[in-house]
Amino acid sequence: MKEKVIHFSLNHPKSIYWLMLLLTLGISAMIPMIQIDTDPENMLSSDQADRVFHNKVKHQFQLHDMIVVGAVNTQHEQGIFNVKSLAAIDELTKNIVAIDGVITADLMSLSTIDNIEQAGVGTVKFEWMMAQPPTTEEQALAIRQKVERLPLMMGTLVAEDNKATAIYVPIKDKNESYRISQDIQQHIDQLDSGDQYYMTGLPVAEDTFGFEMFVQMGISAPLAGAFIFALVWWFFRSFVMALAPMAVAMATVLMTMGLLIGSGFTVHIMSSMIAIFLMPIAVVDSVHIISEFADRFKPGADVRKVIAEVVGHLFTPMLYTSITSSVGFFSLMLTPIPPVQIFGAFVGLGILLAFAWTIVYVPAYISRMSDEQLIAMQKRLHGTQSGSRMHRILKATGLFATARAKPLLVIFTGVFAISVWGITHIQINDNPVRWFKSDHKIRVADQALNTHFSGTYDAFLTFSLRAEAKERWLTSMNNFVGSHTDLLNNPLFAEWLATTKEQKDSTIENVLPGLEDVLDGAPEHLQPALESLLELLEKESSEQRLFTQPEWLNYLAGLQLSLQNSGYVGKSNSVVDLVKTVNRELRDGSAQNFVVPERQAGVAQALLQFQSSHRPQDLWHLVTPDYSQGVVWLQLKSGDNQDMSQVMAHVDAYIAKHPLPDTIAMKWAGKTYINLIWQQQMVAGMADSLISAFVVVFIMMVVLFRSLIFGFLAMLPLSITITFIYGLIGWIGKDYDMPIAVLSALTLGLSVDFAIHFLERARSLYRQTQSFSATINAMFTEPATAITRNAIVIAIGFTPLLLAPLVPYITVGIFLATIMAVSALVTLVALPAVLTVFKSILAR
Amino acid sequence: MLKRFFDGQKWLLCLLLVQSIAHAELTVEQIIEAANAASYYPGDDARAEARMKIVDAQGRKQMRQFMMLRQDVEEQGAQNFMVVFSRPADVKGTVLLVNKHIDKDDDRWLYLPGLDLVKRIAAGDKRTSFVGSHFFYEDVSGRLPSYDHHQLTGNDEQHYILRSEPKADQQVAFAHYVSKINKQTMLPDEVVYFNDKGKAYRKVEIVQTKNIDGFNTVTAAKVSDLISGAYTQIQFRHIKYNLEIPSTIFSERSLRNPPAKWLKR
Repeated sequence: MKEKVIHFSLNHPKSIYWLMLLLTLGISAMIPMIQIDTDPENMLSSDQADRVFHNKVKHQFQLHDMIVVGAVNTQHEQGIFNVKSLAAIDELTKNIVAIDGVITADLMSLSTIDNIEQAGVGTVKFEWMMAQPPTTEEQALAIRQKVERLPLMMGTLVAEDNKATAIYVPIKDKNESYRISQDIQQHIDQLDSGDQYYMTGLPVAEDTFGFEMFVQMGISAPLAGAFIFALVWWFFRSFVMALAPMAVAMATVLMTMGLLIGSGFTVHIMSSMIAIFLMPIAVVDSVHIISEFADRFKPGADVRKVIAEVVGHLFTPMLYTSITSSVGFFSLMLTPIPPVQIFGAFVGLGILLAFAWTIVYVPAYISRMSDEQLIAMQKRLHGTQSGSRMHRILKATGLFATARAKPLLVIFTGVFAISVWGITHIQINDNPVRWFKSDHKIRVADQALNTHFSGTYDAFLTFSLRAEAKERWLTSMNNFVGSHTDLLNNPLFAEWLATTKEQKDSTIENVLPGLEDVLDGAPEHLQPALESLLELLEKESSEQRLFTQPEWLNYLAGLQLSLQNSGYVGKSNSVVDLVKTVNRELRDGSAQNFVVPERQAGVAQALLQFQSSHRPQDLWHLVTPDYSQGVVWLQLKSGDNQDMSQVMAHVDAYIAKHPLPDTIAMKWAGKTYINLIWQQQMVAGMADSLISAFVVVFIMMVVLFRSLIFGFLAMLPLSITITFIYGLIGWIGKDYDMPIAVLSALTLGLSVDFAIHFLERARSLYRQTQSFSATINAMFTEPATAITRNAIVIAIGFTPLLLAPLVPYITVGIFLATIMAVSALVTLVALPAVLTVFKSILAR
Repeated sequence: MLKRFFDGQKWLLCLLLVQSIAHAELTVEQIIEAANAASYYPGDDARAEARMKIVDAQGRKQMRQFMMLRQDVEEQGAQNFMVVFSRPADVKGTVLLVNKHIDKDDDRWLYLPGLDLVKRIAAGDKRTSFVGSHFFYEDVSGRLPSYDHHQLTGNDEQHYILRSEPKADQQVAFAHYVSKINKQTMLPDEVVYFNDKGKAYRKVEIVQTKNIDGFNTVTAAKVSDLISGAYTQIQFRHIKYNLEIPSTIFSERSLRNPPAKWLKR
């Protein structure tokens, strides 16, 4: 089989060139169809229960995607509440309202909110908070005093410290946020109020993120290609030779990306890294072939014979290393995170593709190189200082590893133990805003706004009447009709009853008018029964209106107070705050009346008054129109998963102490919560993928070496490396976040390569020499050089990620480079040490 | 009372007279006056039970039911309104009283039985929501024709088409509105409001008209939010004109004890 492939390659080089060129061009033609996806929500599949519920809540409570514009004034003694600043806010608001794609009705700004207040004794007043911008500083301050009395606005629309105010701009389609935010920025640039303006909000962050992703793909990946090309050129001192691995890498990257995009997958932060992952991995096999070829080729030798020998020799280890590497990536498909699955699947595929191209293309390419080029390479390679320097260092490493074998094994065991301990200290935490560097304008805006306001991170605690309680009225109605069967003789009533039962989602309120019509036309003797039924249904209706019941509202008030006192949340908002505010202003405006009315009718009537304002729709962000469901909107100053966990633990503890009524269900929603969920799923999923990758690779090793002990040996360096790296993360306290989680499984597949090459070569050398020391000596010449070169190629290949504008890329860059370097080192030190102590292993 | 009754008759006579003249000869002012009269001033007083269905963009419904009493103090002039809620059950007994004036701000009172509270509502913007519906207070009590500049822009078989722009001192969300006044009933069959960008965003339309006690009367109407797709339907039933409701009941004192006699169907 492998002979056939090699012969095909050597005999039909031109066909192979054409095939590779046409396939690459054909498949990569789909790349322009690229669709960028920057929505962190997509870390969960679209049918994931928490995500589905989150979106249902978003829809029910009309929680649109918002661009947040913050204006800060730290100079004026009245803060932002001065004539000039407020005029600017008013002007900006008017301009923003005129932008297409903005949901005008829900836009929140001092210019668009409503105020309720006292207007003399016994009089209440509803008016726009700032119908006109103020003309005197006193008027400006008066606005501040009015907002101060609106708890839903303080800390949210206006900073407690007076220095800032915000404009919340809801938009219809978040794909439009780039255009809208550019428009807003233009209007901001025209203001001359001297205030500092910031713009943030998820849609803006996502857009910026998408842009930075393109930058990464457009700069880091080509840069990695250039680095790798330079390295290979330097390793082999041949420009022409270095072109071969580059061609394989380019073909692999372009085809994989073409296939990914052509299959209709969006490019998410994970898949944007496919190119930079494949670039170094794709050249690894070529480096092995060229390394060994350069070693074996002597002037005058038959190139085709040498290359056939080299490839025949390397075929099995290369096949195995490619499969193990792809297994590492394929194992990512076991995580429940779709972007990670797609990333794993396509990098895995790319690695296999790279192997295939290496086997058919590289031999063909080398065989077509002229003898002069090969001899020149040969001369330069063996005549250089640095080549022998690497040899000298490696030789010393081999000597050291065998001479100090026992103490080295003790040290490795010790490091392993300390690392395991470190792993138990790992802090699992992530926050997508931190994916931007700390000096990025998004982070700067985030920080500024969270300093002045109560928090820009949202979580929603939802409460709803359980379905059983919602349907109870149907039973009550049936029971009533059962004991008043004469009603059924009335055709109008019978019809009404039938339609009521038919309508699946009929609510009491919807069927009452019909019953009243029945009453209007009914004969006198049925009227008392119909009146009682009406009364019964009205009573049931009131009981369904959970969020107008004073006991329940007071329960929520208690929960909100406890959250506020916990210090974990910046602020919480609910319909309770609104009811209390309206009640206070309807009474006398005094603080003692900032309470929930005693009776349900009082609450309902206060809410009816709120609905008589300019913005009745604001109520439906807090409760549903049937009042059976509602939210407590929590504003957090940090989007860290750990902080969200603390809030949730606090709520759980409160509810354990103050049990919820049986009829009420509680559930979480909101972006901060969703982030926590996918982070948790990622951690759990990574454990699965790491374990399965470990098991699969181990089995493959046992099969490859036909030996259980060699199987263990092959897994040893990577186990030490991965444990060490994660132990280090635990010890230095770096958060275990998305990029770090993803890397565990895939590095396993990559770092086992070194051990495979090392053990395979050591075993065959031992068979030839039957001498341990001769084997080790030979190992630390060409085989160790090839391993070291590959480690350097991969490590250096990932360093352009350090220049990336987004933190996860940098983390991946540092992390992968370190893992590759450490695992090559561990392979070259730990394996000879073990073999020295247990010499008999090699003889098996 | 008697005098007012005759005033009303006289007005009606005028109206009939006007209607018999060739329509094209009506001036804008005449059309506006006739439409205002037909919409807000039929009879000397009136009573109707209203049922309102408020439907949001997601199709979720809210109901309101209330009895409405109206009394004209002077033709095309001051009026009294009393709105007494009966449903939802938890707002039952809530009363809104309006003394509408032409030359000064209206007086508005509120009685909230659940809070045991009588409250005066300060004069101000009348373009706030009427109890959470898509109607404004102004739609219920009538926007004064003098607030806007009106222009007759067209005619079709059944309608006069008017374009109205708010006068400079008016703080309103619309840039202009276009009304289609029915030539037979002189009722505005359709009014569409446009924003600064010339986009239609709000529509008020008459769904059903009936002749009751000789008056062309709106029995069903609808307001639509053309941007979100939400709307409010209102239906008037048990309409009666010229009940001779005493003006004393339109006073702050009767808020706590609504006049049961006049509120019965």
